[in-house]
Amino acid sequence: MVTLEKIAHLANDCKFDSLGPEAHVNSEKLSMLGEGTRHDVCASTFSPRSPGLPGICHSFTQDGRCVSLFKTLYTNHCSHQCNYCTNAANCSQKARAFTYTPEELASITLSLYRGNYIEGLFLSSGSGRNEDVVMEDIVETARLLRNKYAFAGYIHLKVLPGASLSHIQEAMELADRVSINLEASSPSYMNEMSATKNYETDIIQRQRYIRDLMGKADRMSRLPAGQTTQLVVGAGTESDMEIFKRILYEYQEIGVKRAYYSAFSPQKGTPFETREPQQRWREHRLYQMDWLYRIYHFHPQEIGIAFNEDGFLENADPKMAIARQLMDSPADPNVASYSELLRIPGIGHCSAQRIVSLRKKKPIQGKADLALLGVRIKRAAPYLKINGWRDTTLQMWSA
Amino acid sequence: MRVPDNFVYYLSAHADCNARLLARAGDFTARDLEVLANVDAKRLRKMVFEVLAETHRMKAFVRLKPLGCIVLYGYLKTRHKIADRLGDHFARRNPGTIIVLGNGQESWISLLCDSRIMREHGSGMTETLERLGSGLPDSGEGRDNEAESIWKTYYDSQYCPERKNLRLFHQRMPRRDQDSAGLRLAESKENVTLEDFFAKI
Repeated sequence: MVTLEKIAHLANDCKFDSLGPEAHVNSEKLSMLGEGTRHDVCASTFSPRSPGLPGICHSFTQDGRCVSLFKTLYTNHCSHQCNYCTNAANCSQKARAFTYTPEELASITLSLYRGNYIEGLFLSSGSGRNEDVVMEDIVETARLLRNKYAFAGYIHLKVLPGASLSHIQEAMELADRVSINLEASSPSYMNEMSATKNYETDIIQRQRYIRDLMGKADRMSRLPAGQTTQLVVGAGTESDMEIFKRILYEYQEIGVKRAYYSAFSPQKGTPFETREPQQRWREHRLYQMDWLYRIYHFHPQEIGIAFNEDGFLENADPKMAIARQLMDSPADPNVASYSELLRIPGIGHCSAQRIVSLRKKKPIQGKADLALLGVRIKRAAPYLKINGWRDTTLQMWSA
Repeated sequence: MRVPDNFVYYLSAHADCNARLLARAGDFTARDLEVLANVDAKRLRKMVFEVLAETHRMKAFVRLKPLGCIVLYGYLKTRHKIADRLGDHFARRNPGTIIVLGNGQESWISLLCDSRIMREHGSGMTETLERLGSGLPDSGEGRDNEAESIWKTYYDSQYCPERKNLRLFHQRMPRRDQDSAGLRLAESKENVTLEDFFAKI
């Protein structure tokens, strides 16, 4: 313990301005540009850098989503004609256009970070008149934060479609994560959604730039949290199977860390205003499918079983649908391998690890042991045989 | 949630922890606590998780306001003995800045300077801030609510009415933990509950 006076004296010696620059904020601008990112669902703040940053959640909105980042547009002025977006040039009820300056945005971010409201900055943008000019300002904002204000928080920068290689490289040197939104699963669906974006050159080529820069030996563009992407689900007419095929390409060839899915909801004044909103459960089922591939390492062919003949997922757990088709005989948790355990509905990767740990000490006696390890017994029971005993269900008899 | 390897550290911070429990904890590893089903293991695991959960939420919910240009202070009244750890967390996040966490009865002061953390446990927060405030170069007056008003505007802009899910909201922002950090989010018109109404009368 030291005295309060000594602490005050030491802090004065540090000569560190805890306040940063004063943030003069136009609340209409703050609100409009904040609203522009409401449908961007990425809220991750985990960045495996050294020294590490704690990735903690802050507040939650009334829709239950975490608000851990200052998520905003740099400008809502956009020259693209995307049929689902309120900032698009072809939207008939466009809001007033606002643009931050890099200094302004840096001071707001700093002010919120010091007050422990946020963990970092998530910066997206409309393309303005020229995406390279906007991209330059986005990079400048990150540079101010990192170099002038020694900002140690998390930074996620959006790469604008068609951005130049040099701007992408600069963004990667400053950010923890960069991303470029795919929005659609193929060029033809992109044409349906936007008349001005070229799927191959404006988006996929930029993702390849990021992948190649990450793989370079100089490691300047380290990008600790990798690159991600997002799709608008239901704005186009693509099936879940087509989305899944595109996501496989993204994980295997582009090396994205993860994909996000945002269910389409029609916005006033846009050409897609009269389209039906997408059901939230479709987004949820796509995340489950993604989880099976990414975390449980299911083979794509296994996952393919969960799709119906039209290529859509039903509103039911895809893991359960796969188990019904593929698990001919129940598994014994005392002998099943880790990957076999993962294929049983109601057993996740944590509970599978716990089962493997526990059975090294003592055999699993019954369902009570499994329940304690976090297994959802109701779902798992039909697929388990513990010490020769198996639960039977009416469904099995009817089958 | 996984039991951390240094679980005894968290257990010792629990409001109901005593010497007998700490001695009992010596018989277990973190892995044991995760998988064993006996009464002792279950109780210890529950206590560790309670401390972890409160620490996690307080790191998230405590809001810091500036006093002068080298002090950040925030309201904190926790159930478990975690205030000094939280002070260290905020000090690491804001090097060279004095962090004061506290309430009417006591306060915890932390400063990260030259990679070392200095701490003091003081009396009520107001008194501590008065003592600190007298020697500060700039009052920073008028900027106290700057971040708060920016935050309110921004927070409201992030709400998607089509995704409204108040059950999830209340589950993730428990009223009890909001109170510990002096947060008043539950009072906004959109998410007010009957419980909030009765608490006011």
